[in-house]
Amino acid sequence: MTGQPALLDLRAVSKHFTRKPDFAERLAIRLGAPEPPVVRAVEDVSLEVAEGQAVGLVGESGCGKSTLGRIVAGVHARTSGQLWYRGREDRAFTAEEARRTQIEIQMIFQDPMNSLNPRMRVADIIGEAPVVHGLFPSRERVQRVGALMREVGLDPAYARRFPHQFSGGQRQRIGIARALAVEPRFLVCDESVAALDVSIQAQVLNLFMDLRERRGLTYLFISHDLGVVRHLTDRVAIMYLGRLVEDGPTREIFAGPNHPYTRALLAGAPRIGRGRQTFTALKGELPSPINPPPGCPFHTRCPHVFARCRSEMPRLRPVASGRLSACHLNDQA
Amino acid sequence: MTALLEVTGLKTHFLTRAGAVRAVDGVDLTLRAGEVLGLVGESGSGKSVTSFSILGLVDPPGKVVGGSVRFKGEDLIQASPERLRQLRGRDIAMIFQDPMLTLTPVLRIETQMVETVLAHERTSYAGARERALDMLARVGIPAPQERIRAYPHQFSGGMRQRVAIAIAMLHGPSLILADEPTTALDVTIQGQVLSEMQRLVAETGTAMIWVSHDLAVVEAIADRIIVMYAGRVVEEGPVAEVIARPGHPYTRGLLDSTPSAATPGGRLRQIPGMAPSVLNLPPGCPFAPRCAHVRPECSTPPPVRRLGPERTVRCFAPLIPEVGQ
Repeated sequence: MTGQPALLDLRAVSKHFTRKPDFAERLAIRLGAPEPPVVRAVEDVSLEVAEGQAVGLVGESGCGKSTLGRIVAGVHARTSGQLWYRGREDRAFTAEEARRTQIEIQMIFQDPMNSLNPRMRVADIIGEAPVVHGLFPSRERVQRVGALMREVGLDPAYARRFPHQFSGGQRQRIGIARALAVEPRFLVCDESVAALDVSIQAQVLNLFMDLRERRGLTYLFISHDLGVVRHLTDRVAIMYLGRLVEDGPTREIFAGPNHPYTRALLAGAPRIGRGRQTFTALKGELPSPINPPPGCPFHTRCPHVFARCRSEMPRLRPVASGRLSACHLNDQA
Repeated sequence: MTALLEVTGLKTHFLTRAGAVRAVDGVDLTLRAGEVLGLVGESGSGKSVTSFSILGLVDPPGKVVGGSVRFKGEDLIQASPERLRQLRGRDIAMIFQDPMLTLTPVLRIETQMVETVLAHERTSYAGARERALDMLARVGIPAPQERIRAYPHQFSGGMRQRVAIAIAMLHGPSLILADEPTTALDVTIQGQVLSEMQRLVAETGTAMIWVSHDLAVVEAIADRIIVMYAGRVVEEGPVAEVIARPGHPYTRGLLDSTPSAATPGGRLRQIPGMAPSVLNLPPGCPFAPRCAHVRPECSTPPPVRRLGPERTVRCFAPLIPEVGQ
């Protein structure tokens, strides 16, 4: 990590989802019934992202990676913890700072069919937000939208079309152009290439790399696809059951993962060129985030589990320069 | 060498108001007993429709309009619905991508599995249940005695897929058609299911067609690979050879597009453009508009060229030399 303050700094962020009890349930709780269950989607996550960095956030379904991304993009409010952006805590933001941060952090979703309004023309989808925010006057709209469409590899002649008239890859490009329209500095990409075919996925990944170079963007790239993350990011953070278990430079983690879960993830992913593989699969499944196991969240599936893992939560601690891992095994060596 | 399954010139078209969608347009494939064949392609390449056509599962407006599907010498295209019903689930089983859509949500696993056994065999309920329990244990479901009483929604995605696999294996079929069975699963769960499938097909000598868009998964599990594009087979061969030295520019493009194979951080060598609509395919090679090696003759139908004892490619200019005729 660099000496300058991080662009984004999450400090012990947690997000719990609960259901508000209705009247009868409140009554029942008064009479001694248990409270409705709490889903601990994100638990005590600290993560720094430096300006210009591309950070990957990896984990399996239900690990909280999308929830964390949504907290960063301001879609979800966090339950506890702090979010610092450009060296300021968001609770201390002035109204102008809050507005600017909202615009600077943009999100690109997985399924462009569900994130684009099917009744709006592409020109309006891309051109609405910047005009509302006063980034350019509406008379320049046609020309600006055209430039944005060209930048993401779409023909400006299609500006009057609706989203359903485009293919999946083109729709994803519309979503990217919409995000770029407000001149963001930070893109949160939530499984943004997961729904695309391999040949189209490669085109969109190349576009992400070009944009990073051209616009100096910072990325939080959320994905379950290790190949994509390895290709695109400088640093990677691995989540398991709402917690970060490992964090470090992408190249180093892929070359030598520290945490047993990271090791299992890397070993379990089929990769081209490995030939016929026999999988020595990780046993068991992800425990529920409603009742996370005591101690290390991974101890129920870990091949190296020992007594301490069942009772004591391992802290995320430095294991090498720039590398963090949360595993008791590191104390034993 | 007798083939277990021999598909020749299979054509499945969807007759729509806009015209005939040639989803599968002249596919040949053979499968030996105990062999695992990977069927690879992107959306719309016809890989799933090919597997549906083998079992006669194509719904209108789709129709198999040509070719033959010979299973142990018997033509399934000509077979009566009764005959197909006998074969399905007993000799040929199918596993789909989403087990939530293939298992009935309102029946216990026990009912669904016992029904499957009794559909093809005269045996007692207790005997059928015993078989079901045994199979659940073999696919790695813990505590089958209790879990067999559960409903599908009480299982996780990976466990549901195991139940689907257990049902497919109940009659010891000689062929399993698996349509993207691990695509919806997480990496560690996919690893578990892949290793169970590898073990089961090896133990029982079951042949399998593994339909997938994921070259890495196919490389891990298959013996042979068929690459499809726009309803046609463009390349076929032993999986290790095809991946090490692809013969068709499209296969090369797919491999180059996959991030795990490329050097991290570098630009991926992408295939320009997108897959053509199979509604109005021009004659000639369907890949020609996106191909870097395109020549004038590519506007006419490309020939099948032999690249090795078991390797063929449908291309005028294969990337590796042809072997002598």
